Amino acid sequence: MLTPLFYFESVMLALRQIWANKLRSILTALGIIVGVASTTAVIAALTGLKTKVLAEFETFGAARIYVWPSRPEGVPRNLFPWEKIRLRKEEAAAIAEQCTSLKGITPISETTLSVQSDGENLDGVSVTGIWPAWHATENRQVIMGRPFSQADIDNARQVCLVNDLAVRDLQLPTDPVGEHLIIGGRRFLIVGVVETITERMTGFNTISAELFIPHSLMDKFMDRDYFMRFVALANSPAEAEDAQADITRVLRKVRGLGSTDLETFRVQPIDQFIDQFKSVASGITAVAGGIVAISLLVGGIGIMNIMLVSVSERTREIGLRKAVGATPTAILLQFLLEAVTLCLAGGLIGVLIGQGFALAVSSIPGARLENSSVPAWAVALAFVFSAAVGVIFGMFPAIKASRLDPIEALRHE
Amino acid sequence: MAEPIIEVRGVKKIYRVGVETIHALRGVDLTIAAGEMVAIMGASGSGKSTLMNTLGCLDRPTEGTYHLGGREVSNLTPAELAQVRNQEIGFVFQSFELLPRLTALENVELPLLYARGKGWGWAKRRRELAKEALDRVGLSQRMDHRPNQLSGGQKQRVAIARAILARPRILMADEPTGNLDTVTTDEILALFGRLHDEGQTVIMVTHENDVAAHCRRVVRLRDGLVLSDLPAGDDPAVGPLVRERKVAA
Repeated sequence: MLTPLFYFESVMLALRQIWANKLRSILTALGIIVGVASTTAVIAALTGLKTKVLAEFETFGAARIYVWPSRPEGVPRNLFPWEKIRLRKEEAAAIAEQCTSLKGITPISETTLSVQSDGENLDGVSVTGIWPAWHATENRQVIMGRPFSQADIDNARQVCLVNDLAVRDLQLPTDPVGEHLIIGGRRFLIVGVVETITERMTGFNTISAELFIPHSLMDKFMDRDYFMRFVALANSPAEAEDAQADITRVLRKVRGLGSTDLETFRVQPIDQFIDQFKSVASGITAVAGGIVAISLLVGGIGIMNIMLVSVSERTREIGLRKAVGATPTAILLQFLLEAVTLCLAGGLIGVLIGQGFALAVSSIPGARLENSSVPAWAVALAFVFSAAVGVIFGMFPAIKASRLDPIEALRHE
Repeated sequence: MAEPIIEVRGVKKIYRVGVETIHALRGVDLTIAAGEMVAIMGASGSGKSTLMNTLGCLDRPTEGTYHLGGREVSNLTPAELAQVRNQEIGFVFQSFELLPRLTALENVELPLLYARGKGWGWAKRRRELAKEALDRVGLSQRMDHRPNQLSGGQKQRVAIARAILARPRILMADEPTGNLDTVTTDEILALFGRLHDEGQTVIMVTHENDVAAHCRRVVRLRDGLVLSDLPAGDDPAVGPLVRERKVAA
């Protein structure tokens, strides 16, 4: 009796049963639909985000290394005063000189200053002190004019770079090279325009006017012992770890740290940011998994409930089927397959809605989730879980149906 | 006498309802030959339904033996009994027991859904057999109708087609005309008569003498025992009706 034909016909019967009780079936499967849909959507968005972020890391070649001052944990603050741990330009110079694994390094310090052009006077404009290597480390090129030269830095020339937003806000000519700006009371010559990158997940997005000056000039605008960080670029992504070790070694030497002394700085290649991002992403995936588990549990209880109702409503039918020769196993399988079919139908609707969400999310302007899509493994998993819920929660009602006594069942009102 | 198809010896059926013990059958002996048409009669509580369920392999006797077509069936498992019912017995019930969502044809097909070990070609073959069965009860024009589109008599014809579909050894009818008017009752009983003429063994449970008069033999039960077992013409209550029918014919 339990031939493929029997299974096929049981599934068809289940579909008819579900179709005959459309509203009830949908309400029953709602838990599973919502669970699967929301999880698929979250996974889709996350996948999109991951693709996007990793693609961006790719363009950097995963070769960026960040250095910043850091007080060791669990030691008295007064043992490590700021002036002892802050980074210095000399340290960047030492790293640039001694680390062969690096393409370049730049100190970066930021402040805001008031700026005057011929036609405009702006307060609080972002001014960043950089070295020429900055263009390579930030992957932002000069689109007009020229970048800084080492001579600009060494001689502390009063030259600056602007971005297009600064051109707009300061009402500069479209080609501002050769114009002058008064920055913090000093007269600077504009030598170039730096490209603006808005579509970027990492680093700092350009959302306003920016000015860049040789880092040596930051001394004129900043307090003593001002903050700077370094950004370096390894020769290749493969050398990122070597470069990290290199920088650490040079910095320890410059700072005169013995082998047992605690580090007063941190060096982190972008790889580790990727790892961090990945671990956050898998954390979110795990939470989404938890949510789906809970909603599938709730959905499963709904399925069990409705299957019990169904068994009770169809007691006479079960009696008749048994009278004409259905074995207990046949009845068990029919009800189990009905529960599984219902769950799979719910899973299918859930996946479709999830796909819809993924599409919707990917078309949100500016959300940068255009790569969102439901991965095949998530679809497969949704169906596996749905079927499992059907089997687990459909088992009890199916057993109940299979054990009905045909005589009693036929007498049932 | 033709070969015995049913041989029941010393069958007892005891139920326990709470603390009470009910002796539904107290030792029934009964032999029915192939091709007979037997009415089982008795007041309610006489045990006729229990005997019917036992003969129909829906239930097992507490004591005694039951040979169906030479095979001992009183100690089979529920799954084995289901197969026996599937192959050997066709049931017709008082309230038809058609599944409302299925068409007449699909209702008739139902027992073959549970026939053992059939391949993909079976679905088509089954449909043909169901059409044949509907044809035998004169309802081939109604095969795509659902039960709610059929009259009471038509419903019972569908149920009879379902019962005879697998060519069972025994056709069991439990008050088959209990829900029908007199004209339809006559039609249905005539149909049973015709099936009997074709060689079908028919066992009918009824409390109406009119219905029993269509049978050839009447077994009366009282208090779980066989009270009388006579040819229909010799039964004191049914006999006159049988003679009346013969005169009318």
